[in-house]
Amino acid sequence: MTEIIIKLKNLNWLFIFLVSFLSFVGLVMIYSATFGEESKIFISHIYKVTFGFILMILVSLIDVEFWKKNAYLFYFIGLVLLLWVTFYGYLGKGARRWINFYGLNFQPSEIMKIFLIISLAKFFDEKKFQESRDYFFLILPILIVTIPFILVLIQPDLGTAMLILFVSVVIFFVSGINWKFFAFSGFLSIVVTPYLWGGLKDYQKQRILTLFNPENDPLGSGYHITQSQIAIGSGGTFGKGWTKGTQSHLDFLPEKHTDFIFSMLGEEFGFLGTLSVIGLICLITYITYHITSSFIHNNFNRIVGYGIITNFFFASLINMSMVIGILPIVGLPLPLVSYGGSSMLTYFIGFGIILSLDRESNYL
Amino acid sequence: MKKKSKDELLYLDYQKTFFTFLVFGKLFYLQILQKSKYGKLSDTNRIKLKIVYPERGIIFDLYDKPIASNRIDYQLSIFKDKKNLVYDYVKKLRGHINFSEMDLESIKNNLNEQDLSDFITIKRNLSWNELEFFEFMKNKFPFLIITKEKVRNYEEDLIFSHVLGYVGFKKDVTKIKLSNLKVGISGIEKKLDSKLLGKDGWIKFETDSKGAVKKELNKKYAVPGANIKTNLISEIQSKASDEMRGIRGAVVMINCQNGGVNCLYSSPSFNNNEFSDGISLKKWNLLLDDEFNPLLNRCIAGLYSPGSTYKLVTALHAIENQKFNKNKKFLCSGHVSFGNRKFHCWKKEGHGYVNLHEAIEKSCDCYFYNLAKSVKIDDLAKFSSLFSYGQTTGIDIPNEFKGIMPNREWKIKNRNEKWQKGETLNTVIGQGFMLSTPLQITLMTARIATGKKIIPTIISNKKEFENLNISNENLEFIKSSMFSVVNNSTGTAFNSKLSGNYKMAGKTGTSQVRRISLEEREDGVIKNEELNYKLRDHSIFTCFAPFDKPKYSLSVIAEHMGSGSKVAAPIAKRIMELALNKY
Repeated sequence: MTEIIIKLKNLNWLFIFLVSFLSFVGLVMIYSATFGEESKIFISHIYKVTFGFILMILVSLIDVEFWKKNAYLFYFIGLVLLLWVTFYGYLGKGARRWINFYGLNFQPSEIMKIFLIISLAKFFDEKKFQESRDYFFLILPILIVTIPFILVLIQPDLGTAMLILFVSVVIFFVSGINWKFFAFSGFLSIVVTPYLWGGLKDYQKQRILTLFNPENDPLGSGYHITQSQIAIGSGGTFGKGWTKGTQSHLDFLPEKHTDFIFSMLGEEFGFLGTLSVIGLICLITYITYHITSSFIHNNFNRIVGYGIITNFFFASLINMSMVIGILPIVGLPLPLVSYGGSSMLTYFIGFGIILSLDRESNYL
Repeated sequence: MKKKSKDELLYLDYQKTFFTFLVFGKLFYLQILQKSKYGKLSDTNRIKLKIVYPERGIIFDLYDKPIASNRIDYQLSIFKDKKNLVYDYVKKLRGHINFSEMDLESIKNNLNEQDLSDFITIKRNLSWNELEFFEFMKNKFPFLIITKEKVRNYEEDLIFSHVLGYVGFKKDVTKIKLSNLKVGISGIEKKLDSKLLGKDGWIKFETDSKGAVKKELNKKYAVPGANIKTNLISEIQSKASDEMRGIRGAVVMINCQNGGVNCLYSSPSFNNNEFSDGISLKKWNLLLDDEFNPLLNRCIAGLYSPGSTYKLVTALHAIENQKFNKNKKFLCSGHVSFGNRKFHCWKKEGHGYVNLHEAIEKSCDCYFYNLAKSVKIDDLAKFSSLFSYGQTTGIDIPNEFKGIMPNREWKIKNRNEKWQKGETLNTVIGQGFMLSTPLQITLMTARIATGKKIIPTIISNKKEFENLNISNENLEFIKSSMFSVVNNSTGTAFNSKLSGNYKMAGKTGTSQVRRISLEEREDGVIKNEELNYKLRDHSIFTCFAPFDKPKYSLSVIAEHMGSGSKVAAPIAKRIMELALNKY
């Protein structure tokens, strides 16, 4: 018992505060998004945040060694869930992403990202770097990445699939893989892209094409992005005020409590609001870098830390880029802010792991 | 190895930093640099404008009785962005709300309007039942709204139509800002449109993305147009309308003291309320094709030979300008020979020896033929302009005709012939080329009665007028002759003598529509009653009263009703009696 109290005492409470603050921003925005409507979503969000927070603390008490030991097992479980969802998943919005678990919808692709990161970390930790010059050695990690990537892609969930690929590339990079490998992969992906493009659903193609010219078809697929830009732009410096956003509350902004929550934040809290959230995300990322960079001789810890925080950081910035029109709308929530349980719980678990990394770094 | 990985991590940091700045830059662009653009876009998204048309000014008669006011019109409008739903909605509403062909036509037109308003009116004049139905069903039609507007309503359907005119949509104006604004098309409504119009306002509504109205944000009230008081007298106007039932023609009454037009009635009339609500093409064509031309305002644009009423001007010209001896007698044997032509008096057997006074009283044509022998047409025409013949009177409603006051120059210009002396003989009795409006005839009487250059006006109240510079003695002579017309038993209008204390002075006229041929003269002139209606003479009477202190000048023209004494004079008598006894 005392051991647990000591562990709790040693937790990085600044980090916990920052993460909680980001969740609080989410609560504030979800409240506004559902303002004047039924409060079911807001109440449900409170439960999820509370549960997520507790989960993070619990995970932070587990030693990192546990994840290292069971990495492949978790990966295997995740893979089974992904396969299950591919065939028997609950169909929503034209995609098979969810497992209905006693009335709770659960999205295995989210948690799979964590399992993928720890599996790759374990793999690269155990192999010698010298071996990495041997390209055959890379077949296994490439498979580890490719299988979930394809399974998620065919759901279809372009956003998460891309994120999986991106985080994996970063992990390969951090693991010291030669640049020639990336050049080769890049070349390969250019060759493969037309085939991938052919495999995309029409609506996904449309979304990507819309990025290049959103105003071309304002009432069609460009409508969302145009309205989102109007919402953010019209917020100006200080915003229109909490629950006062006209774009959001008069339903011009689509999916304002999920993917487009950042647009609503921009409308109601202005440039100061969006800047603060970016600042918060950068701060969380920076602290994590600080923690992980102390593990000079522990590849697993280092890779896990980088992997998790890269996932968080890029998920955040891709979501923002999406709603402000830098990237196509691929359907990614804003971590900890958007409504949606699976994604949030996954990020809380990830932050729990970072907290236990931090705890360990104190003993170095 | 440690060093290498550190460099790579640094590279990763650069990547993240770059990405962060990219997002930051775009946000800065959107929220700081382009704030006003996107602010406006978000406002156009949610704010919809509804133009509120101003209430037209009310028009009153001389005794402050409203003759043109406004009623509340409930209208159904659709959100412009959803205009593709119009026909679907109309189909759904049809069983309960009556869409006439006219409504459908105006919907079609309204859909193409480049109006400022974000709403399109799809149905006007909603009845209470229709309103009630819509209130009950409005949840099913989220993009429709009910608005009310004040629209023109005339107290009487027919009585003031020509003088007031009507309102309607401006036609053939592209890109008009307020396409549903009704403007004055004719009469006072047109003349005083700028005063009556007022200033439009608007209502801003907040709507959601589906176009459903959430709330009213703010509004600018429309400023109603100015009220206008006219010199018209409702009761006289109604009386004229009653008297002229079944008769084509005009009744004009002018106040001799201030030129105020108390009555301006043209018969047959039309219903100006129908016009203001938007008349159907069928009805419009029917009116246009009507042989009696009800749309013509005969008072100011109906052209008639003034007939014998013009003898007053001829006589005045002779004694005023030609030192003609008014006691000089001519023999009237029923006709006068001039050149190789015979000029006939209306009385076949002749009047015997008459002087000027008697000639006016009995309306002897021969006397004037003789008098005409010394009259120069250009002098007469010039003198006649004092009484506005051949000129517009300057009345304050549009589309006035000036008629024809012929002279040598006119003949050359219009007939390409030299003036014939014989034509002077026709002109002095108000026949031949000469044409005048009922207003001009009335004005002549008013000017003779007062010796002042009265200017007729419907809205102003001027007291001072120029003198005609005609000697009082001569004017009195003409007036006393007119007195005899009505009050002497030998006068042509004796049967229309006023009952009661007031005395009236006047002059009959019979405006010949056809030329009577020589053979007909010999066989005996066909009686008017036996003639085809369209060839019958117009009956004219012009008068003023009271004789000693002229207040009203009145003319009645009854088309194709025969001699002036028979129809026009009795009507004038009854109207004058009403005016003198009540006002």
